[in-house]
Amino acid sequence: MTGPRAPSPLLRLAAAALAMLVNLSAGAPAGQPPPDALFIESAQAAGLVFRHVNGATGQYYLAEEMGAGVALFDYDKDGDLDVYLVQGEPLGSTGEPVATPPTSRLFRNDLTVDSDGRSLRFTDVTEHAGLALRAHGMGVAVADYDNDGWLDLYVTCFGSNRLYRNLGDGSFADVTSHARVDDARWSTSAAFVDFDRDGHLDLYVTNYVDFTVAGNRLCYDSLGARDYCSPRVYRAVPDSLFHNLGNGRFTDVTEAAGISKARGAGLGVTTGDYNGDGWLDLYVANDATPNQLWINQGDGTFLDEGLISGSAVNAVGNAEGSMGIASGDFDADGDEDLFVTNLAGETFVLYVNDGSGNFQDARTPWGLAAPTAAFTGFGTDWLDYDNDGRQDLFVANGGVNLVEAQRGEARPFRMRDQLFRQLASGRFEEVSATAGPAFAQMEIGRGAAFGDIDNDGDVDIVVANNGGPVMMLLNQTGSQNHWLQVRLEGAPRNRFGLGAWVGVERRGAPTLWRRVKTDGSYLSASDVRIHVGLGPSAALTGIVVHWPEGQRERWTEVAGDRLVILRRGTGQSP
Amino acid sequence: MSLIVRASIATLVLTALALPGAAQPGIPPLPHPALHLFPPSARESVAAAYERAAERSGDAGAAGVLGSVLHAWDQWDAAHDAYSRAQALDPRAFEWHYLDGIALQRLARHAEAAARFRRAHDLSPGFLPAHVRLADALLEAGELDQSGVLFVALIRHDATAGLGHFGLGRIAALRGDHATAISRLELAVGLVPVWGAAHYALALSYRAEGRRADATRALERHAEHGPSWPALEDPVLASVTALREDAVANLQRGLRLADAGDLAGAIAAHEAALALDPALAQAHANLISLYGRSQDWTRAEEHYRTVLDLGFGLDAAHYDYGVLLAMQGKWKAAADAYRRAIDVNPLHARAHNNLGGLLEREQEIEAAAVSYRQAVTSEPLFRLARFNVARLLLVGGRLDEAIEELEKIVHPRDAEAPLYLFALAGAHLKGGQKEQGIRWAREARQLASAHAQHGLVAAINRALDMLK
Repeated sequence: MTGPRAPSPLLRLAAAALAMLVNLSAGAPAGQPPPDALFIESAQAAGLVFRHVNGATGQYYLAEEMGAGVALFDYDKDGDLDVYLVQGEPLGSTGEPVATPPTSRLFRNDLTVDSDGRSLRFTDVTEHAGLALRAHGMGVAVADYDNDGWLDLYVTCFGSNRLYRNLGDGSFADVTSHARVDDARWSTSAAFVDFDRDGHLDLYVTNYVDFTVAGNRLCYDSLGARDYCSPRVYRAVPDSLFHNLGNGRFTDVTEAAGISKARGAGLGVTTGDYNGDGWLDLYVANDATPNQLWINQGDGTFLDEGLISGSAVNAVGNAEGSMGIASGDFDADGDEDLFVTNLAGETFVLYVNDGSGNFQDARTPWGLAAPTAAFTGFGTDWLDYDNDGRQDLFVANGGVNLVEAQRGEARPFRMRDQLFRQLASGRFEEVSATAGPAFAQMEIGRGAAFGDIDNDGDVDIVVANNGGPVMMLLNQTGSQNHWLQVRLEGAPRNRFGLGAWVGVERRGAPTLWRRVKTDGSYLSASDVRIHVGLGPSAALTGIVVHWPEGQRERWTEVAGDRLVILRRGTGQSP
Repeated sequence: MSLIVRASIATLVLTALALPGAAQPGIPPLPHPALHLFPPSARESVAAAYERAAERSGDAGAAGVLGSVLHAWDQWDAAHDAYSRAQALDPRAFEWHYLDGIALQRLARHAEAAARFRRAHDLSPGFLPAHVRLADALLEAGELDQSGVLFVALIRHDATAGLGHFGLGRIAALRGDHATAISRLELAVGLVPVWGAAHYALALSYRAEGRRADATRALERHAEHGPSWPALEDPVLASVTALREDAVANLQRGLRLADAGDLAGAIAAHEAALALDPALAQAHANLISLYGRSQDWTRAEEHYRTVLDLGFGLDAAHYDYGVLLAMQGKWKAAADAYRRAIDVNPLHARAHNNLGGLLEREQEIEAAAVSYRQAVTSEPLFRLARFNVARLLLVGGRLDEAIEELEKIVHPRDAEAPLYLFALAGAHLKGGQKEQGIRWAREARQLASAHAQHGLVAAINRALDMLK
C-alpha cells in the first residue's frame, strides 16, 4: 500500500490542463444520470429513507458485518410492493444510552398511476404496523403461513427470531411464542416451503456460527491491525426445520427430517425441485463449509447430496465463501440452476443442472469467473432486466475484510454492485459500467430483493447496505420488449402457490419456466409474483402451473404485457 | 493546433519529467510505502528496502527485493508495482515474473498472472513451481489445450507426476470424457493417497459414469484428507515468506508445528510470537493447551490468566483450562471451568460433554444426561456425546432409545465406529436379541482389528466367548 504524496506545482498544472480538456469534450452535465441509465437509484427521492445500524463499536464483533436483509411484499394487498428493512443495533455495552433506538422499518408503497404518469412514494408505517423490532436483526422471509390470504413475516436475528402474523388491517402480531418457531441461535436466511405437500407452508431456518459477544476472538489484517475474524474461528451451528401443523403452530422436525445429519455455517437458503421428482428440495449456502443440497425423499426426510451432486464445493473440493444464492432456470432447459456468491479471490460460481440434480461448475465458460474475482458478493438473483427473454444477474457486493485501498477510511469494506447481461450466445457480459451511476457507488452491499416496485413491467431492485443507506434501483428499460407477470391464487391452501412451477409457453420459442418463491438472495425476500421477459414477441400459447401438491393446470387465454392472476381450479388439465 | 492543446502537451511533458523514475521512460515507477501503516517491527526493513531501491534506480534486484518485502506483508498492489519495475529493468530475471504472477493471482488478475508465469517458465523451464502455476492458471482460464501440454510435461518428473495426472484428469472431466478422467485421477491418488482434492474430482467423474458406490467411497476419502495438497518445494516463494518475522508469522509457524506434532517447536514459536507482541491473545490461548499437553501446568495457567485479562476468546480459554485441570485430577475446578465456558458460549458442545463426564463421575446421573443431551443439541454430529447419551440410556434400561441413538453414530465406519458398534451389540444383547448382538459384535471386532485397536478386539473376543 502506498501513502499519499503532495503533488508538485508541475503536476497540479498538468492536472488542471487535463481537466480542461476533459470538460471540453464531455457533454453530460455534472450530477445527472446519463439518459440511457438502465437503473436509477431513487430511494431517498421516493421517501424510502433508512440507514442500517450495524452497531460497530470497534470491537469487531462478527455479527456487526453480516446484516441485513430486505423484503419486497404487498402487505396491504393494494397491488404494489411495500418494503420491510431489517435493522441492527449495537452489540455489547457501549456505555452510552441511545435516545431513539433504531428499529426495523416497514414502508408502505403509495404508488399512484394516472394520466399524468407514475408517482412512487413511500410512507413509514412501522409503528402502526407493530413491526418496530428492536434487535440485532439479520434476515426476513415472507409467506402466508396461516393461509388467510395475507403475507406474513419471519425475521431472523442474532438472538431470538420473530414470526409476525399479518392481521389484514395494516398491522401485525408477534406470534413467535404461540407458533413455537423461535430459534435463539444466530439465524440468518429463512425460507417457507411446503416440503410434505400438505398445503401448509413449513419453515427452514439457517443458522450461522456459535459466536457470542463474550467469546469474541481477536483477529488481525495483513498489517497487524484489528479486523473481523473469519467464521472459521467459530463452530458452525445446525439449521432448523419447523413443520407447520396447520393450526397456527409448528413443530421442530429438524432431527426427524435428517437435517441434523449435516452442519454448516448457513447464510443463504433457497427452494426448488433440483432433481425433477416433483418434491421441493432445499439448497443451503454455507460460509467456508460445504453447501448442502437437501433432496426431499418424499417421506418427510431429506438427504444431503451436496457433495455428490457437485454443488457443495469448488472444482478442487474446497468450500468457498457461499453467501447469496440465485436459483432458477437461467438457460431455459427446464431445470433449476444455481448461482452462488463468494469471497473476493474465489469468484462466484454457476452450478449448471443436468436435469437430474447433478451440477457442473461452469463459472469460467459462462464468463462469470474473471469479472467476479475481485468482489465479495451477497444478495443476488436472476432477473430479465431488459425483458429480452434471457435471464440476467445482479449482485450486491461488499467486503467482509478490509479493502486495502480503503485502509484508513471510514467503512473500508465498500465495493460496487454488478449487473450481468446474458447474451444470445449464452455467456454473460458485465454491463455495470453502462447501467448507471448507481453501479459506480461504493457500498457494503448485503441483502437484495427483486420485484416490480412501480408496476411498469420491469424488475426493480432494493439493496440493503451494511451500516449504510438503502438503495432502490428503479429499472428504466421500459417497454422495449414484452413481459408477463403471474400471481397464483392457490386457495384454500398455500394461497400464493409458493413452490409452484410455472411454464410460460411461447409461440415458436422455448417455454420459460419460473418457480414461485420469495426465498433466495441473501437474508431477503422478493416479490411473490413471477416476472417473465418475453422478448420482441408477446405471442403466448398458454401458461402451465405445476402446483406444489402435484396437480397441474393450463390456461390458454393469456396475453403479455400484464399481470395475470391464475386461480387454482380455473384452468384445464394439460 | 489550438493554444489549449499546445499548453496541455507541454505540461504533460513537464509532468512526465517530474515523476519518479522518469529518467527511465517506460520503466514503471517505484511504489512509495506508507511506513506509518506498517507495524513497528516491519518499518525498518520496508524503509531500508525502499531506500535502496530508490538510490539504485537502475537495479532490478533492489526493486525486486522491495517487491518481495511488500509481498511478505500481503501488500499485493504495491508488490506488483515493484515487481513490474524489476521486470522492466531486467526482463531476463525469471524470479520477478514468477513472484509478480503470484501477486497478480492474489489480486484476482488471473489472465495477467498467467502471462507472468509463462514468461517465468520460458526463462527457467526447469523451475517446476512456475510450470505448475502456469498449467493451473491456463486451466482456470479455460485454455485446456495449452494447459494439457504443460500437464503432460509434468508427468515426467517424480515431484510433479501426481499434479500432472490430476490436471489431465480435470481437463478430461471438463471435456466430458469421464472414463479418461477416472484413469488419470486414479493415477493421481495412487501417487498421492492423501490428496483430498483429487479424491473429490474422482468422485464426480465416478458419479458421471454411474458408479455411485465408488463415488461415495471417493467422497469419504475426500472428507478424510480435506484440503491437503502435494507439497512442492518452492525456494523462491520461501525466500519471500522468510522475510516476515513478526508475531503473527511466528504464531502461524507455531500452529503448523503443532499440527505436525512438534510440541516443543510449537511452544517455542508461540513464545517467540509473544516476545514480539505480548498482547497477542491467540498465542496465549494456544499455549494453554500446548503447555497442558506437555504437562507444564504452571505455565499453562499463567497463559490462561493472561487470556482472561485480555478478554478475548474466553469460552475456548475456560474450556482448555478445564481440560488441563481434569488432566490433573482437579475434578471440581474442571467442572467450574467448563461451566464458565458454557456461560460465555451456551452452544459449546465439548464443554457440555466434558461437564457431563464429571457429573457422571460424581454419580449425578440425571444432570450428566442433561449435559450430554445439551452437547448433542448443540452439535448433532458430535458422536462421542451421543454415545454418552446412549450409555446412560442403557444404564437406565431404556434399550430402544439407546439403540436409536447408537444407530445414528455407527457411520461412517471409521476409527471411532468400532466402539459404537460394540455398544450397539451390547444393547441388543441386553434386550435379548442375541443374533443381532453377535452380528454387531463381529462387525465391531473386524473394524477394530483393521484399525489396530487391539484392546477393543480383546474385549470383544471376551464378550463373544461368554456367549458361547
